[in-house]
Amino acid sequence: MERPLPDEPPDAAARLQVRDVTKQFGGVRAVDGVSFEIGDGQVVGLIGANGAGKTTLLHLLYGRHRADAGTVVLAGRDVTRLPPRAHARLGMGLVFQNTSVFLGLSVEENLLLGAMPKQGRGRPADRLSAVEQMLEVVDLVDQRYVPAASLAHGQQQWLEIGMALLAGPDLLLLDEPTSGMTRAESRRTAELVRRLQTDHPRRAVVVVEHNLEFIRMISDRVMVMHRGCLIADGSIAEVQADPAVQDSYLGRHA
Amino acid sequence: MPAVDPTTGSGRSAIRKRIADLPRSSRRRAIELALLALLVVVPLVSADAFFVDRLGRYLLWAALAVSLDLIWGFGGILSFGHAAFFGGAGYVVGLLTTTQAGVLPLGVWPAIALAVVASAALAAIVAGAAFRGRTPLRGVEFALVTLAVAFLFEQYARSSRVLGGQNGILLQGQLSVAGWSVHRGRGFYALALVVLVVSYLLCAAFLRARSGRVLQAVRENEERVETLGYDAGRVRFQVYVLSGAIAGAAGAVFYVHDQIVSPGAVGVGASTLVLLWVVLGGRGTLLGPVVATVLLQHLTATLSGTFLDTWLFAVGTLLIVAILLLPGGLLGWVGRGQMR
Repeated sequence: MERPLPDEPPDAAARLQVRDVTKQFGGVRAVDGVSFEIGDGQVVGLIGANGAGKTTLLHLLYGRHRADAGTVVLAGRDVTRLPPRAHARLGMGLVFQNTSVFLGLSVEENLLLGAMPKQGRGRPADRLSAVEQMLEVVDLVDQRYVPAASLAHGQQQWLEIGMALLAGPDLLLLDEPTSGMTRAESRRTAELVRRLQTDHPRRAVVVVEHNLEFIRMISDRVMVMHRGCLIADGSIAEVQADPAVQDSYLGRHA
Repeated sequence: MPAVDPTTGSGRSAIRKRIADLPRSSRRRAIELALLALLVVVPLVSADAFFVDRLGRYLLWAALAVSLDLIWGFGGILSFGHAAFFGGAGYVVGLLTTTQAGVLPLGVWPAIALAVVASAALAAIVAGAAFRGRTPLRGVEFALVTLAVAFLFEQYARSSRVLGGQNGILLQGQLSVAGWSVHRGRGFYALALVVLVVSYLLCAAFLRARSGRVLQAVRENEERVETLGYDAGRVRFQVYVLSGAIAGAAGAVFYVHDQIVSPGAVGVGASTLVLLWVVLGGRGTLLGPVVATVLLQHLTATLSGTFLDTWLFAVGTLLIVAILLLPGGLLGWVGRGQMR
């Protein structure tokens, strides 16, 4: 269900354009002059060691932090200074690293929250049927009325993905979706992401991940961050062959 | 789309599972109806008109408690000044219906309606400043602001000549509907019950709708709600205005009945008592505060005559015990017993 963007400029070259974005905390440049573009349908992995600036960059992308310099353009609109809800309304969906589902609400209620902003004007019955379909996609049919607090960690992560998907995002940001997951769960999550990509080939996806195996399963493009800078951007093979990347990051993990 | 089928188990366990899977609302509906039936029957079987009249006042306080539970129990908005809306509405009705204040005297019902509007407006000003600004207030910050508002309001009422100073204002209107007096006894009780039921239903409707789900989600994780595209400040504003209007409606009727409103009505002490009812009854249950308000006020009226000083001490102790031992309040405690 592709959501129409009413005011989409005709020459939207990229879903997301990031230009020279910088963010400083105290004396530390957590993100230092980062630029990149992400086109419709691309699945991009963002990797880097702890403290490389991935999380800060992610926060800049969805409006939690405001960049000290540079711009973030989403769907042709400058969102650099806009709050997170504006990003959401322009089609950005988020999946957080730690369980940020609403623990006191049931699985169904969580999904309804995800479904509402974009389909709020639709009939409640339509929303409910969208939720019912999503329950199957994320494999939580039996847990429909269960409080999210009583789900296993992996299930909560899937619920989180389901919430984000129900809004019909054009750009999905996943922050370490496999953290705390078993290998088998990670593999199933990768299958889920791939399946979703087949269903919505125009949706762009950015995955922040430590787990290279996971990135390899889902993405064709990898960006590497090191000390706040983007030091490589290309196919997995290209990035792995890059001496700078080997020095700073991959070398130590291989 | 296959239906959700909980009958995968066999025999009794499947049935038990089906009951557990039921949305909690049907069991809740049964408790609500039982309490309503009790509240309808009590005045019919009681021959004591004074008792029934007094019970009517408790029902209006219960509506105030429900309005506080709406924002605090569900929205996490703690207010130390909620009586300002209740007592403030009393002052507004007093000013509008009394000739000596130099204002054109209005009928009681139009005055009550205007008092509700005034309470909603006051709530809109407080919530607008607190939740819609550049740096919205949350949690303790907001609670302190409400404490300050209640304190200032009380001090102003004590010193203002328009508001009658320490003595307050005498209200002269009589409550009647189509020639029937609802000012005293069973008539008043019926009116109070209507106010409580309408208030309760308004809160329940707000919570059942999308707004309620968003409100509870905001309490849990505001940032996440914003990243889903919602405006958390707007939901807080809406619920606060609704709560203020309900408190105002209950207060307006209450003070017309009592025929006097004085500074204590809007003060911090009165607001703290409302918090006590909500804590005792169970935050986030709507029903619990109703039960707690009626029970506690009835006990206070019955026992404080006999044990004047010790009773207040007992209430304080009760609060501490409730906070320590019954985090879910009375209703939470009873509900847990039922689940087992």
